[in-house]
Amino acid sequence: MPQRSPEFSGSVKLKYVKLGYQYLVNHFLTFLLVPVIAGILLELIRLGPDEIATLWKSLQFDFIQILCSSYLIIFISTLYFVSRPRPVYLVDYACYKPPVTCRVPFSCFMEHSRLILSTEPKSVEFQMRILERSGLGEETCLPPAIHYIPPAPSMEAARKEAEMVIFSAVDTLFKKTGLEAKDVDILIVNCSLFSPTPSLTAMVINKYKMRGDIKSFNLSGMGCSAGMISINLARDLLQSYPNSIAVVVSTEIITPNYYQGKERSMLLPNCLFRMGGAAIFLSNRRSDSIRAKYRLLHVVRTHKGADDKAYRCVFEEEDPEGKSGISLSKDLMAIAGEALKSNITTIGPLVLPASEQLLFLMSLMGRKFFNPKWKPYIPDFKQAFDHFCIHAGGRAVIDELQKNLQLSAEHVEASRMTLHRFGNTSSSSLWYELSYIEAKGRMRKGNRVWQIAFGSGFKCNSAVWKCIKSIEIPTDGPWSDCIDRYPVHIPEVVKL
Amino acid sequence: MAEVSWICKRTVVSTKPVEAGKFCPLSVLDRIMEHNHVRVVLYYRCPKERKAGESTRMLRESLAELLSAYPIVTGRLLKTAEGHWMIKCNDAGVRMVEARAKGSVDKWLQNFDREKELNLVHWEPMFHKLYFWSTFYVQLTEFEEGGLAVGLSCGHLLSDPICVTIFIKAWADMTLNGKMVTPPLFHRLPRRGQCNETTNPQPFPELINYYKSTLEKPVPVVQAKQTTIKLAFGDEMVRSCIAMSHAPGSPDEPSPTPFQALAGLFWVGISKIKGLRNGLISMSICLDMRKVLGLDKGFFGNCMVYNQVPGDGIEEYELSKAANAIREVVDTMDAEGIMNLIEWMEGKADQFSCLMNGYDLICVNLEHVDSYSAIFEENFKPIHASYYIEPTVGEGMILVLPSPPGEGSFSRVVMITLPEDEAINLLEDKLIQQFSPTILMMADKKHTTANSDP
Repeated sequence: MPQRSPEFSGSVKLKYVKLGYQYLVNHFLTFLLVPVIAGILLELIRLGPDEIATLWKSLQFDFIQILCSSYLIIFISTLYFVSRPRPVYLVDYACYKPPVTCRVPFSCFMEHSRLILSTEPKSVEFQMRILERSGLGEETCLPPAIHYIPPAPSMEAARKEAEMVIFSAVDTLFKKTGLEAKDVDILIVNCSLFSPTPSLTAMVINKYKMRGDIKSFNLSGMGCSAGMISINLARDLLQSYPNSIAVVVSTEIITPNYYQGKERSMLLPNCLFRMGGAAIFLSNRRSDSIRAKYRLLHVVRTHKGADDKAYRCVFEEEDPEGKSGISLSKDLMAIAGEALKSNITTIGPLVLPASEQLLFLMSLMGRKFFNPKWKPYIPDFKQAFDHFCIHAGGRAVIDELQKNLQLSAEHVEASRMTLHRFGNTSSSSLWYELSYIEAKGRMRKGNRVWQIAFGSGFKCNSAVWKCIKSIEIPTDGPWSDCIDRYPVHIPEVVKL
Repeated sequence: MAEVSWICKRTVVSTKPVEAGKFCPLSVLDRIMEHNHVRVVLYYRCPKERKAGESTRMLRESLAELLSAYPIVTGRLLKTAEGHWMIKCNDAGVRMVEARAKGSVDKWLQNFDREKELNLVHWEPMFHKLYFWSTFYVQLTEFEEGGLAVGLSCGHLLSDPICVTIFIKAWADMTLNGKMVTPPLFHRLPRRGQCNETTNPQPFPELINYYKSTLEKPVPVVQAKQTTIKLAFGDEMVRSCIAMSHAPGSPDEPSPTPFQALAGLFWVGISKIKGLRNGLISMSICLDMRKVLGLDKGFFGNCMVYNQVPGDGIEEYELSKAANAIREVVDTMDAEGIMNLIEWMEGKADQFSCLMNGYDLICVNLEHVDSYSAIFEENFKPIHASYYIEPTVGEGMILVLPSPPGEGSFSRVVMITLPEDEAINLLEDKLIQQFSPTILMMADKKHTTANSDP
């Protein structure tokens, strides 16, 4: 014990030094201005009111000079206000809650796997090991077509699932916000693996009888990060179209993609992917700024597709028996780490406080000019953001990011609990995580949220939101009936 | 051409997850029935406007709700350290088969037989890896021209026909009202009281002797092809049968119950068909012991006990003596005797590899089973109920069931399983004909095997 106290007090001293440094650098301008203002005030007080009046009269102002100056000021301010990007508000969002009858407990999943792959015990063993370590819970859901023995993934069943998920989410969104279908100007639907003709966007427009001049976009094949890509697209469109409303629907339709073969690299998605979807209401109208929950600050997209390994690491192909599935390469974590590094290098300067940026710059210069062996400084993103939504792609992804970004257990709690309750719902998982944070009552006005998603390609896309309204704990929503049970402790290995 | 066509098979899980690490032990009365299974079919009419698949969806959702209260039903078999069966409540669900049948339910009931009826209730025999074998199977068959058949089969290890009926009633209550009238209770069979007498000579050794001798018999082999016929006896007819079975010289003795009278009638009739001249064939009765042991209505598990009825010295057509012999055996099966039996069986460390009902003619008393109150939808009661205890490999099996309500308190339906030719002969027997039974289900016609499970 006596040995620890010098270290302990040493670390406490370091903490205060760090805090002091941060405060100094972040409020540098304030520190500069304060003495200047103080000086001016002192000077004014010293001069006295009469002297000031004389000084004022001595200044010879030409009428034209005044006019030109004021015009210049007005012109510059107008230019400034007009060229500012339109703010994009997230008014509200709704997550799809699957029916309880679609629940898939571990034992049921393993039994089906055994009955379907009865000639491949090794593959069944493999699936069992994956499931034990997956971080999923007993309440995740698969669509009805996958509950059959053997599964019956027809196109009709896939369409049924799409209707069930998308219509339910959009209905909930419309009910929550009072939005009417005819007011929607922009509609974006993203679903990576199911892309029928007519598109899912057309399906939504048909069901809700939306306007003829709606701008609709259907994104497919873009993986789990397609949600952030859709948000980016919506933002760009909302810059071009003033006073508009955009609805973004993010989902993944599981039915057509249940792999029925025995290749191990392709069995992983079966164990992790589950039913889910979300509908998001974005707007650039001033009237919506009052009731909007969040404002979009930044969207950063990074693509590693130029690298062959990254391009092939999540690949849809046919196995030697002709059954198609998505194969995941063993380098997935390493490539994800690289993609993350690219993303945070881009997003860092946009969001980090000056103190962290200075430290990062110094560390960079030091490594370049003095000693390349210095450890690279990882900026402390906890100072830039209050909440983190990491795509619940799997336990390994969340562990990796927690380690890389040096996040605490509470920061990744939303991601882990979403993985446990809903499984990997692909592009909509970020919205379930955000919903978790709100349901726990942790979201305060002024908080900043960072949503990070990874996807095939290999892509790392992220979005930064700022909470602009105090949010009450919702009474409905996907977590309403189970939030009291969370957080749960998820064991490393669940014995089946 | 198949009348019943399969649509799909899936697993139905409960809506609430089961806590991990839950186990349900099986009692000795459960374990002794390891090699049997129960199959029940209930028939319903449906509202005219019902679309295809709607009834099935509704029942599937309410079943999922119900299963949250029955973790034992969704569990799987596992062996204990001592080598006995128990259930691990691992939340694996029950198998459900959805099927479609041609015609309407009324048309079906006019012209069906055992083989066709068994197509309405799916069953999978135990396979090698029992941990993945579902103990319960549900089949919902919708009739194209209206009607629904609900078939439920399960291993006798977990429940007897009475328990299965209680389960179906609970399912019906859940569908109709969203809650169960009689929630299930899972507990051990009662033990003897604290009065410590000697463990030796029990007051009723015959019961234990019967079980002992049955357990020592070799596994029976199926001989002839069996068929099942179903006869309905009207209220008046059963009353006259009881009157006939009442021993003429003893007016103080209580008159036989409908079960005793009908069991006696068939015992005598079947003995004659099988060609026995002196004495009757060996018969055992199977009775529900829930009331005797004072168990709650919601008790889940096996509680039916078999006992042999001595038939020596009874000549053919001596109906009153037969009924009397049955009555005497029924009277001696009291709580003390049953608990002694249970204790004795628990003392036996061996496996129960016999078939309790695989040797004699068995008469099962199911006359108070509550199948007609399993109402899934307002105003749609079951119109017909069938029960099977399989496999039938002994001399034959007789199940005495209740009649649909409104036909009199003494009317009964009897399902008789016998080798084919004996069944046909039985229908022509004079004694049976005396009570003019209505034939609800004929013997299987001689035709090529209809489609069973693909």
